[in-house]
Amino acid sequence: MRQFTGQRAWLVQRLSALLLLCATAALGIYLLIEGPPGYPAWLAFARHPAGSTLILAVTAALCLHGWVGARDVVLDYLHRPAWRLCVLALVATALGLVFLRVLVVLAATLAHAP
Amino acid sequence: MAVRPEALAGRRNPAGLPRFLNLFAIRFPIGAIASIGHRLSGACLVLAMLWLPDTLARSLRSQGDYDALLAAWRSPWMAPLEFLILWAFCYHVLAGLRHLLMDVGVGARLPAARASARLVLGLGFAIALVLLVARRWP
Repeated sequence: MRQFTGQRAWLVQRLSALLLLCATAALGIYLLIEGPPGYPAWLAFARHPAGSTLILAVTAALCLHGWVGARDVVLDYLHRPAWRLCVLALVATALGLVFLRVLVVLAATLAHAP
Repeated sequence: MAVRPEALAGRRNPAGLPRFLNLFAIRFPIGAIASIGHRLSGACLVLAMLWLPDTLARSLRSQGDYDALLAAWRSPWMAPLEFLILWAFCYHVLAGLRHLLMDVGVGARLPAARASARLVLGLGFAIALVLLVARRWP
């Protein structure tokens, strides 16, 4: 977890923020022009190697960004070491599971491709 | 931060610093409200992320699951929750953009920072409202 503290955490927070900002802008522009995609278009996107990579990258950025933010909040408002450890472990586990489940879902989607 | 005397009621620690601050007696400047809002919206979004894998799975499983998901989100009962998530998302993105701009020195001085804090607070709420109405328009 040392990689995600101090100055490196600050950098991870900014870099993931930039990626998420770009993804939000791209999604916003797409939805404005095309409206919500139908199921076939959405499935085709998730099955395309570039599409699934993008979904995975956005999920990774979300989890990292969420981790740095949650860690900042916990360290500011929780002062007892035992509480900090419990809550940080809970957050890390939850975010890790979110990423792993998205990975599994994407793998299953690719595996069932015709 | 402006602190009224009654906010300092309570014991003082050995260093003479106030303890047990009464949050309701402290006047929060607009920058502090923007900052707390950024954290609060971030916490809401982390919580909302717990539903992300399941939503992704259901949206990709079949045409029926995809339609059911969209229909569930269209239900009027979901409107308050949808608004809360939209508001948290819009505000968090705008406040984050404000921070990133300040990092590179844009609008970092106090008058500009106060004005942009007001702007993102208003704009975040307004955009969320517009998105909610636009999505539910027949």
